[in-house]
Amino acid sequence: MPKPLLQIPGIPSGRILGLVLVIIIAVLAIRQMRKKALPFIRRVAAIDAIDEAVGRSTEMGRPVLVSYGIGSFDYSTIAALSILGYVSRMCADTDTKLIVPTGGGHTSYLTRELAVDIVRTQYTLAGKPEMFREEDMPFLSGEQYSYTAGYIGILVREHPGAVIMTGSHASEAMNIAETSNLVGAITITAGTYVSNMAALACASDYVMLMDEQPAAGAYLSKDREQLATIRVQDIYKALAMTLTALGLILLNILGSEFFLDLLST
Amino acid sequence: MSWLFKSKQVNLAVLVFFFLAGFVPYFILVPQVDDAVNKLNLIAATVGQFTVAIAIYSQWRRSLRFIKERRKGWAYHIYLLALMSGMTFIGFTLGEKHDAYTWLVRAIVTPLSSVAYGILAFYMFSALARAFRARSLKAAFLVIAGCIVLLYQAPLTGAFIQIEPYAVFLTDNFGMSLSRMFSIAIITGGIILNIRMLTGRELAFLGFAKEES
Repeated sequence: MPKPLLQIPGIPSGRILGLVLVIIIAVLAIRQMRKKALPFIRRVAAIDAIDEAVGRSTEMGRPVLVSYGIGSFDYSTIAALSILGYVSRMCADTDTKLIVPTGGGHTSYLTRELAVDIVRTQYTLAGKPEMFREEDMPFLSGEQYSYTAGYIGILVREHPGAVIMTGSHASEAMNIAETSNLVGAITITAGTYVSNMAALACASDYVMLMDEQPAAGAYLSKDREQLATIRVQDIYKALAMTLTALGLILLNILGSEFFLDLLST
Repeated sequence: MSWLFKSKQVNLAVLVFFFLAGFVPYFILVPQVDDAVNKLNLIAATVGQFTVAIAIYSQWRRSLRFIKERRKGWAYHIYLLALMSGMTFIGFTLGEKHDAYTWLVRAIVTPLSSVAYGILAFYMFSALARAFRARSLKAAFLVIAGCIVLLYQAPLTGAFIQIEPYAVFLTDNFGMSLSRMFSIAIITGGIILNIRMLTGRELAFLGFAKEES
């Protein structure tokens, strides 16, 4: 049974280290943002493929289908909305039809309004407000599988050139990705649902893994300050890997539960 | 007044306030803040419910356009509107516990959803058929590990009982460690995204475009 190394009154047990780590990440991120030099960020194939996918749709005269998940306002939905903004601007600039199926969850009523506003803003900024059609952002259903059926219906009827499925999708992601593949669309997916990732990797042309989706907004912006924060993600991941390795060595070789106690603090 | 709602600073201030309302009670025990946060969540949920009306309006508008322009599949939209209106009417007038509403859910909504869910198995199969082609060493490992875990999980377990220790080893070691790695990376990405939002670097989700930042 792990024994926390430290107890502070007023802070629930097991959350002290979490609070410290969040503060460290925030400080590191702000320090990185202040640096002048552009950090090196590895290429993310799935995000780079967005431009190619939209371009292909434009050349083929087919629509682009983008969805931002069925979840509530969590970070993956927010990241997906950033991607939606980027793609809608590209579609507006290139006169490509954009379809955004919305719904799928009981909180989708709320996220939908924000998505409509984001797409409308991008069309207005591109100087083509008349091209924005709310009918192309249908609310399909608040039920997961009714939404899926509607989504698949659109895929089969419209034959999109690209399907960009981001945000938090659950088991319906497989139905959508496979049908998208079937209709010959470039399929770019992202997921935060761990059990989904292997299935999505099989069904998609490109898949954003793990922290690539939350980083997509920053990656696409090409903004130095935003890119700098991605660097912190890597530093933090390296720290987590080191701690895990040290913990395994200490526990298995020396029998010490120090890291278990530390992580329970 | 609209300038207030369109102001980036005001939006950011609201965002920071709501962030602190969620962040502080998680890490620091302050009962008064807990009460305030609960009330805040209740207000947010109530406001959220009003958006259902907007969603119904959106669906009506889209379906009517389909029917008016006789687009492909327009007849299904008549069915959709009739069912949607029926459920809304019965739900509002008789309540969701009434037999009529329960019948609609049990006889139409649940079977249709179950069928759509059941189809998932076929999609999985077709995706696996493409993925399980051992064209490289990595793909070969995937095929072998996949087959072991699949045979263990599937009802064929009884016939392949000797596979169990290998499947459990793969699931408990490789599967578990990969799952933890995914979780750590996803959470890290989430925290960094939040920092970008709170410092006003990434506000696309609030409807602000790059030009406006």
